[in-house]
Amino acid sequence: MANEMKSLKTISLHISGMMCAACVAHNEEALSSLPGVTKAVVNLATGKARVEYDPDKVTLEDMEKAVSDVGYEVVLDNMQLKIGGMSCQACASNIETAVGSLPGVGKVVVNFAAGSAGIDYVPDITSVEEIRDTIHELGYDVIERVEGQEALDRERDTRQKEIRRQLINLIISGTLGIIVMIGMLQPYWIFPAFIPVWLNNKVVLFFLTTPIVFGPARQFFINSWNGLRHGVTDMNLLYATGIGAAYGIAIINTFWPDAGFGGKDATFYEAATLLTAFIILGRYLEAVTRGKTSEAIRRLMELQPRRACVIRDNQEVEIPAEDVQLDEIIVVRPGEALPVDGTVTEGYSSIDQSMITGESIPVEKGAGDEVIGGTINKTGAFKFRATRIGKDTALSQIIKLVEDAQTTKAPIQKIADKVAGRFILGVHILSLITFLFWFFIGFSLWFTPASRMMLTPYSLSLVGAFGFSLLVSVTVLVISCPCALGLATPSAIMAGTGKGAEYGILFKGADAMETTARLQAVIFDKTGTLTKGEPSLTDVVALDGNDKEVLHMAAVAEKNSEHPLGSAILSGARAKGIEVEDADDFEAIPGQGVSATLGGRSLLLGNRRLMLEQNIAMENLLPEAERLEYEGKTVMFLAINGTASGIAAVADTLKDTSVQAINELQRMGIEVIMITGDNRRTAEAIARQVGIDRVLSEVLPEDKAKEVGKLQAEGKIVAMVGDGINDAPALAQADAGIAIGSGTDVAKETGNVILVKDDLLDVVAGIQVAKATLRKIKENLVWAFGYNTLAIPFGMGVLYPFVAQLVSPELAALLMATSSLSVTLNTLRMRGYIPPVKRHRQPDLVSGFQSLPAG
Amino acid sequence: MKNSDLISALIYTGISLLAAGIFIVATLSAKYSNVDRFGGAAWVFILSMIILMPVVIPIVKKR
Repeated sequence: MANEMKSLKTISLHISGMMCAACVAHNEEALSSLPGVTKAVVNLATGKARVEYDPDKVTLEDMEKAVSDVGYEVVLDNMQLKIGGMSCQACASNIETAVGSLPGVGKVVVNFAAGSAGIDYVPDITSVEEIRDTIHELGYDVIERVEGQEALDRERDTRQKEIRRQLINLIISGTLGIIVMIGMLQPYWIFPAFIPVWLNNKVVLFFLTTPIVFGPARQFFINSWNGLRHGVTDMNLLYATGIGAAYGIAIINTFWPDAGFGGKDATFYEAATLLTAFIILGRYLEAVTRGKTSEAIRRLMELQPRRACVIRDNQEVEIPAEDVQLDEIIVVRPGEALPVDGTVTEGYSSIDQSMITGESIPVEKGAGDEVIGGTINKTGAFKFRATRIGKDTALSQIIKLVEDAQTTKAPIQKIADKVAGRFILGVHILSLITFLFWFFIGFSLWFTPASRMMLTPYSLSLVGAFGFSLLVSVTVLVISCPCALGLATPSAIMAGTGKGAEYGILFKGADAMETTARLQAVIFDKTGTLTKGEPSLTDVVALDGNDKEVLHMAAVAEKNSEHPLGSAILSGARAKGIEVEDADDFEAIPGQGVSATLGGRSLLLGNRRLMLEQNIAMENLLPEAERLEYEGKTVMFLAINGTASGIAAVADTLKDTSVQAINELQRMGIEVIMITGDNRRTAEAIARQVGIDRVLSEVLPEDKAKEVGKLQAEGKIVAMVGDGINDAPALAQADAGIAIGSGTDVAKETGNVILVKDDLLDVVAGIQVAKATLRKIKENLVWAFGYNTLAIPFGMGVLYPFVAQLVSPELAALLMATSSLSVTLNTLRMRGYIPPVKRHRQPDLVSGFQSLPAG
Repeated sequence: MKNSDLISALIYTGISLLAAGIFIVATLSAKYSNVDRFGGAAWVFILSMIILMPVVIPIVKKR
């Protein structure tokens, strides 16, 4: 079993042609049904499938075939290489064969004359390096990749291709549709004065409509037939039956006007043309707006500079950023973006890291400091050594994390997809029932020759039972299309994860986001999370009032100590400008304190036990000592020449934003709990300062997960906020594990929400982003379901007995397109969202992340 | 054509034809024109095929 798990791999496939939630269901079913595929999750908004599979049992070709069998296409990454050393066409063939045989490589085209190669591949299976090595091993040089950032380019190209295709379809169907509409209106109102009679000729209209049905509308017929052949139905089928039926009736009424479908006055050419035009308008707008919801990830990708200036053979050489090697020295000038992660070796500068960490103020960096790829050098020039390149850089890890999150599904989405997947079948059943009802019952009961189609010039006076029932049946098909339902959740999740990434808040999956939005309790680890994690000097008390002297002597006594408390006193003294000289003599007394001498004075610094053992009277200091201990501080007594002189108190202090973060969470109605290994008194003292009422103290690190479990057993949805490494078990146990201050190595973190910065306000911001996203999902679902719930009865003709009017198929198409558009526009409103807790900081952040130059 | 595809096609086409046939029989009791009768039967057949294909094909494939 373990071996089986070990051999499983995961790949991300780009699938083109998906339009609705049903497409998602079909691709998931097709991929999941392959032997060797253990899990397949498809995301409509990203157009990606995440497949977990056993490479021994299933190949990329199998997956491509399964996807193409249900009417879609796997689009592979494309890489362009320049190849040196080829002497004949056979060389090109060799490379094609060798590279083509690598797993995960699709089409390979090597052009001998141009010395170039175009390779389709899946980077998750075979990396660029493996392909380059294979070509190298054959004895050829890979001189340069023609283009970097292929993922970004491919994503943009695919989207633009789709937008262009739909735009051309829209222009054709829209233009011809308007002409047909004008022709149909010719006999009515004042139009005979403006529109020539020949434009109303049904044969002319037939010739104007036919190119639309066999041109732009062809995709619906082909896709629905491909699906049906494999036993699946999708939105295309609704369109195809709608357009096909309208076109069929129009032909019959043109060439056989006495057939009983309403005659020459009821040729629905404009229904077929405008239906096509509106559906394509919807698709075009979706393609445009869907691109905008993934803007955050694209902006992250665009942070990666394409070129890097490295030192090779003592000379500065400009190379593609992806060719930077480990340990290579890189030169960065003011205004340039850093190509990879590294450590500064020479120079000094301030760097804008807002795009990665969300920090609004540029950070000063000098020799020895770590720098992050994708950040912007603001002021000075400097050199740094590359420590992480390619997929290992912080930016690449963040992009991967956000991309992965966007291909996962929130529980709410799984339900929506299931409903949408079954919906189409349901719509056809409803359409059949509607047809039978109007044919056998409704028509004879309510039909009147004064019947009209809403917002059209048509009279339905000559229509028979079949023509009438067919019209209502077709309208039901078109008006029920659940396109909006398919987009409602994934588009919001994409916008939400992208928004989180802007603030250095990384959600590892859509489920993490949904859980975070529903949190009822948040447990904070104390040390290192609520507090700075290192003791610092808080109070100095001198019996004679000379605090400075007491601190000076305490610091001298501790100068050679390696104890953290000693370091805190020494740092405290230095911070107050006290010069601390070396003691003449020093001795550490384990478990008690230290003794030292300075200029003939003997110094003793330590706990009560030390004072008692050395018979030093300290009664005068005890009231102050007890007060400080009640506040959770560690108290050390100082005796000079055998007389108690004062107290130095040390404590782990709160982080700057802890109190505000806790207050905000409590205001949001979330219970806040602190967990710590400290004794109850110290723990309660910290909790009082920060405003937490419930404290879990004296909990061993290994028991923290159990405490989280106990809270979950109370029925609460619990988040644990802590250090991603030390608190890993508790983070894993919690419903949402929030790893704080992970820095740049985000991939190693245990939690399912990663906070790049060490700022507790990001916990609040994370919850606010998640809540806003879930709210957006719910709004979208209300829009989508609400539309269908309201529209279907109208489409079925419930108003007809009262007003003698039917919803026309083209009006149904317009309503359907509007519903999709309303969902995507509603999601786009997330782009301007700022978590309330971050609102006062926004101007700085905008200047950092959002105004970066592309490329 | 695979065996399962053939069996599926026979089942969904058969049931759809049956539905269309029942429709025609139902129209005989009232005064419907031939266009209504046969046009309606064709539409019932098409919708029945669309409804049955995605239901029947996976079931037959599974068996």
